[in-house]
Parts: sequence; C-alpha cells; structure tokens
Amino acid sequence: MSNFKKSLRLALTGGGNHNSFGVPSSLLVPPEIDLAFLDRYARKKWEDVLHFVVSSVGYKSSLGDGSGPNKGVKELLIAGRLVDRRPNGSLGITQAGFTFLLQEANAQVWTLLLLWLEVLGNNKSSGLDPVDMLSFLFMLASLELGRAYDTNALTEERRNMLPSLVDFGLIYIPQHKRSMFFPTRLATTLTSGGNSLRTISEGVTAATQSAQTSQQSLGPLGGGGEQQAGSVVIETNYRLYAYTQSALQIAVLALFAKLNMRFPDMVAGRLSRASIRQAINFGITADQIISYLAAHAHEQMHRTAALTNKPVLPPTVVDQIRLWQLENERMKTTSGFLFRDFTDDKDYLDTARFSEEIGVLVWKNDHARMFFANKHEQIKDFLKTRKRAE
Amino acid sequence: MPRAIRGVLIECDPSIKSIIVNIDSVNHDFIIEDLDEERVVVKENMVHLLKQKLEDRLKENLPPVDESGSE
Repeated sequence: MSNFKKSLRLALTGGGNHNSFGVPSSLLVPPEIDLAFLDRYARKKWEDVLHFVVSSVGYKSSLGDGSGPNKGVKELLIAGRLVDRRPNGSLGITQAGFTFLLQEANAQVWTLLLLWLEVLGNNKSSGLDPVDMLSFLFMLASLELGRAYDTNALTEERRNMLPSLVDFGLIYIPQHKRSMFFPTRLATTLTSGGNSLRTISEGVTAATQSAQTSQQSLGPLGGGGEQQAGSVVIETNYRLYAYTQSALQIAVLALFAKLNMRFPDMVAGRLSRASIRQAINFGITADQIISYLAAHAHEQMHRTAALTNKPVLPPTVVDQIRLWQLENERMKTTSGFLFRDFTDDKDYLDTARFSEEIGVLVWKNDHARMFFANKHEQIKDFLKTRKRAE
Repeated sequence: MPRAIRGVLIECDPSIKSIIVNIDSVNHDFIIEDLDEERVVVKENMVHLLKQKLEDRLKENLPPVDESGSE
C-alpha cells in the first residue's frame, strides 16, 4: 500500500526515473520556435491530412501529389477506410471520411491515432506495444506547449514513434536539432475536452451553429480550417458559389451540392435532386441544409435581401430542397395489427374506443368497422373479458 | 369474433398508393387490406421489397431532372 502511495506520488510529481511529464531538453531553444510557429506548423500538417481526405470530393486538389501528408499517413487513411481506392485507381472519400471531416479537430486527431495504434498493433513485427504507445500519447498530452523536450530521455520504442507523430503534426522536431522535440497544440490538447464523436448530421449542425455565433472556435486549431461565416452565395437557379479555402467547408458543401469548379479561393457548383438525395442518404435533413446555407450566406445575399425586402435564401430553392426531401419519404409505415370482422357496431365501437384510450389506435374507419393498432395484447385481453361477460 | 391481422400500415399520397396497388396487382402478394385512398395494410415481410419496387417504378416514370444545366 505504502509502495503504491509512493509510486503514485512520484508519478504525479514527475519525479524518479518514470518521467511521467517528460524530460525538458537542456539545449538552447532556437529563437524562431514560438507558440505561433508551432500552431502554424501543426495547422499546416493537419490541414494537409484533411485536404488529402477531402481532395476526392468532386474536385482535384490544387496542391497536386507532391505536397500533402506523408506516404505513411496516406496509407493509414486508406487502411482506416476514410478514403477508398476506386477501381480506376483514384482515391475517393468514404462515408466514414465524411464523418471524420465533420468532427472537432480533437476527435479527428484521436480517430487517426487510434487507427494508427490499431494498424501497428496488428503488425507484430513493428515491435511496438499499443499499451506503451497509448501511455506515451497520454504523456505527450501532459507536456507543456512551447517547451522543448529531450528525445534521448525516451525509450527506443517511443523514439521510433516520433517520425509518425511528426507526420501527424503532433510534435515538431527542428531540422538541425534532432535531439529535441516540441509538442504542438494538437498533442497537448489530446486529453482535454474530448467530445464524443459526432454523426454527419450533428457535424452539419455544429458547423451551422459555429457560423451563427460567428466564433471561429472549432476545436483547438480552428477545426479543419477557418469556418468563414458569410461565404456562400446561392442563386435562384440552384447555382452555388462559396468563397472559401477551408477543406472542411468545401467538404460540407460537397455533401449536398454538386461542386464542379474549384478556384484558389472559391468553389462553384449547384444543388440538384441527386445531390440533395445523396445528402439525405447521409442522414442530413433538408432543414439542416437550409440552416447551413442561411448561416453561411454571403454578405451580398444579406444586402440584396435587405434592399428588396426578401428572405436571404431564394424561397424557390428553400422550397425545392424541402420537396426533394419529401420525395424521398413517400410513405409512412407503422407496423401493428388490423382489427376487423366485428360482429356488430357496438362491439367495434367499444373496442376501438378502448384502443384509443390506451393510446395504441393508429387509424380507424367506423363505416368499415376496422381499425389499426400498433399493439394488440391489451386489446386481445379486452376482447376476451368482454366475451366472458356476455 | 373480430380478427387481428399482423401487418404494416402504409400511409402515402393517393398517387403513390395507386402505384402500390398496381405493383400488388401482379401477384397479389403485398396487400392485406386496401383501406382507403391514402392507406393500405401490407404484409410485414414484404415492405422492404415493396419499397424497392416503388423506387424502381418512380425512377422509370420521373424524367431525369435537368442535371446538365450549363455551368
């Protein structure tokens, strides 16, 4: 017991040779490496990853194959089925990929890390122990941002993990000082505010809300790029233009619009029956699409609307989106039981009234002496007792 | 003695309903009871197939909406 107490205290204070909080590097820190630098670096790395995931949504990345994440990261994303190799050899985003894009940055990092652990865990030859890797990640999360740590104090296994962590943007290692590493904000926020995973539909809602409050607070790094409020123009002919470079925003738009042109700071596309249908299949509702468009409407749309005293979004488009959704919900189904062949009116009326009272009645037709109920047990009992009473 | 028949109540537009009736008319293996303009009760195990057939039928009948539209 006292042993445990001692060890716990040691771990909490970072004392002894456990190094629970890492060993700060004693070397001189290059002056150019400050918080802003690390944030820029991590954001760049992470956006590369997002760009790679997103680059297959209806347009080609302007970056080409040369840049983007490291080969290892790409393979990881493919192994994790966030992107899929299509028969023609190109890469395409999967539904899991869409869900991934709409997560908070923190959840995205964890998704990727867990994939990584899984892949390495399956690969026995890597000699890496997932448990030790995980505890290393937790250690990283407890490190101080902007501080240099000593790589030599790490075990060899952990040192071998560093290149991958550099690829993910979780740590930075200066070119000319390989013996020190800096955790970035992606690493130090690993264990803070870990929201549960979002579904696609919740992701759209969250993106809408963040635009409505016009705060750029999407996770520690502004999510997958700045959510620009007021960047989308939608015309009465269903054409859509978005002035944005954000991978996330483009991905969200590609969920429900057919994007066919991409310029350095703008994408163009249109809403169509097929594109809305696809969105609905992803679990997004018409209302979510409409409120997303409303929340991201370009300043010019607001200005015109104010001048002409009309709604911000063209009513034809709004109505059509709703109609397209209705088209996909053509019938409402309720399973249950049809009661029929009642001997007389009284029998029918009493039973129907009873089922209405217990709240199982869905439909009735007094004339045909039939009704539909979604449960039958109590009605059966009711009929039995009635019969006995006769 | 009244009877209780297990089934699925489908509520839809009259136009959709008429298509359902039409699909059923081939083998009469979907509908248990035709209730009114907008409602039918169908066999529980056939709902999935019915939905599929309805989709197919609608695809045939709806002209491909203008997807070309000059950009």
